[in-house]
Amino acid sequence: MSGIGTGYDLYPTTFSPDGRIFQVEYAHKAVENSSTAIGLCCKDGVVFGVEKIILSKMLVEGTNRRVFSVGEHIGIATAGLTADGRRIVQNARQEAKNYENFTSDIIPIHVLTERLSIYVQVFTLYNYIRPFGCSLMIGSYDEEKGPSLYCIEPDSVALGFYGCAIGKGKQEAKTEISKLKLSEMTCKDAVKEIAKILIKTVHDETKEKEMELEMSWICKETKGKHKLVPKKLIEEAVEWVKGQENEED
Amino acid sequence: MFRTQYDSDISIYSPEGRLYQIEYAMQAVAQGSTALGLKSKTHAVVVTLMRSSDELSSHQRKIFKVDGHMGIAISGLTADARVLLKFMRNETLHHKFVYGSDLPTGEVVSSLAMKSQRNTQRWGRRPYGVGLLVIGYDGDKTHLYQTSPSGNCFSYYAQAIGSRSQSARTYLEKNFKEFPELGLEELVLHGVKALKESSGKETLTKLNVGIAVVGKEQKFEILKPNKVQSYLDQILQTEGEIEIENENENEKDEEAETLELKLD
Repeated sequence: MSGIGTGYDLYPTTFSPDGRIFQVEYAHKAVENSSTAIGLCCKDGVVFGVEKIILSKMLVEGTNRRVFSVGEHIGIATAGLTADGRRIVQNARQEAKNYENFTSDIIPIHVLTERLSIYVQVFTLYNYIRPFGCSLMIGSYDEEKGPSLYCIEPDSVALGFYGCAIGKGKQEAKTEISKLKLSEMTCKDAVKEIAKILIKTVHDETKEKEMELEMSWICKETKGKHKLVPKKLIEEAVEWVKGQENEED
Repeated sequence: MFRTQYDSDISIYSPEGRLYQIEYAMQAVAQGSTALGLKSKTHAVVVTLMRSSDELSSHQRKIFKVDGHMGIAISGLTADARVLLKFMRNETLHHKFVYGSDLPTGEVVSSLAMKSQRNTQRWGRRPYGVGLLVIGYDGDKTHLYQTSPSGNCFSYYAQAIGSRSQSARTYLEKNFKEFPELGLEELVLHGVKALKESSGKETLTKLNVGIAVVGKEQKFEILKPNKVQSYLDQILQTEGEIEIENENENEKDEEAETLELKLD
């Protein structure tokens, strides 16, 4: 980790001799330091799952949310600096409101994604502001178009995904996701699969403290509205994961 | 490793993706004297240890009222806290004016967190060097939030911030499961006991301990020194009883020792 970028890495306005902007790459590192978030596009909707590390026993359950609603029909899950994520979500909510005021119609997800990536990009242009240290997954479900999932990284690149993971364990999670048959999976199955990946593959019980699962979905069942997955379903999924472990033993 | 180069501006990431200026601002919070908060189902309490710069000066206040149903305890740069306090008071007052009701604690804490985050992203600004413990009662529920210079806010059952707060936190972690059902008196006693853990060599008096309560049918109130003294007396009384027990045990040990010497 020695000075590959030394001298060219203090401000986003400086290119290195090989054409890289190091401050933006360091912003990616900030995302990689945080716990993992997963998004899956299923047959009938989109499901988000976040591995939340519990830093203190005295924290109220469900605090420090990592998934947010924009309007009723779009959900955003963040990884990286939570405060930065909330700032972008605040901007997203403003965009959605303005669009609705102007067109009397709810904002389509691809329009929102493009506007957010432009917003994120602006912060990589000047030397007096720093890039956002967070990645976002944006998801929505439409009766006609079906489920959509996009991911915006700190360098403002926004790509559409069938399945996506961001944060510390994204490599392992992506490997597991690629094994799943997403086009045939329902959202209820996806809840179980995400729980399995986060609890077994990504979370290291020996190294890290306990984790809390935060999951949300936008699907046919919720009639296209972004809602938190009911606690009961999450508990069932966790039980199922434990059952799987016992079978393997 | 990269501290010296990447830690002078808030707008610079280190190669590991860290923002050192935010971490340093959190150090400023850790330098302030202890403030702790705890809540039950009906009441929320903050207890603070106040410092005075010399014998002739008064103790620096750490508890401030925001509105009838909400108050804060601070740790860190007092001047920064004043700015955030003014912001919170404005928000709550505005809400009352427009809607005629109390502003929910969670909402004002969220706005505060967003305000703090703005200062972490522009060059030329610095993060607020103060951590707040916000207690409030609204919607029939008690709330305790911690805000930090990074712009993160958390909801807690009990928390302690400031210097030597780890001892208080350890005490709170041992006991917090029984807090929800406690009445106000016992809750405050727990708070003062927790403060004693992190007071070190400093004796607690009615002048340097601050206590405030809010809850069901209890508007936010900073307790008067005499009331504080009554709680301190209760703590000293129980300690006195423990001391007498210990003295008796010590006497028995001494007798045993002298016996052994005689045998030798």
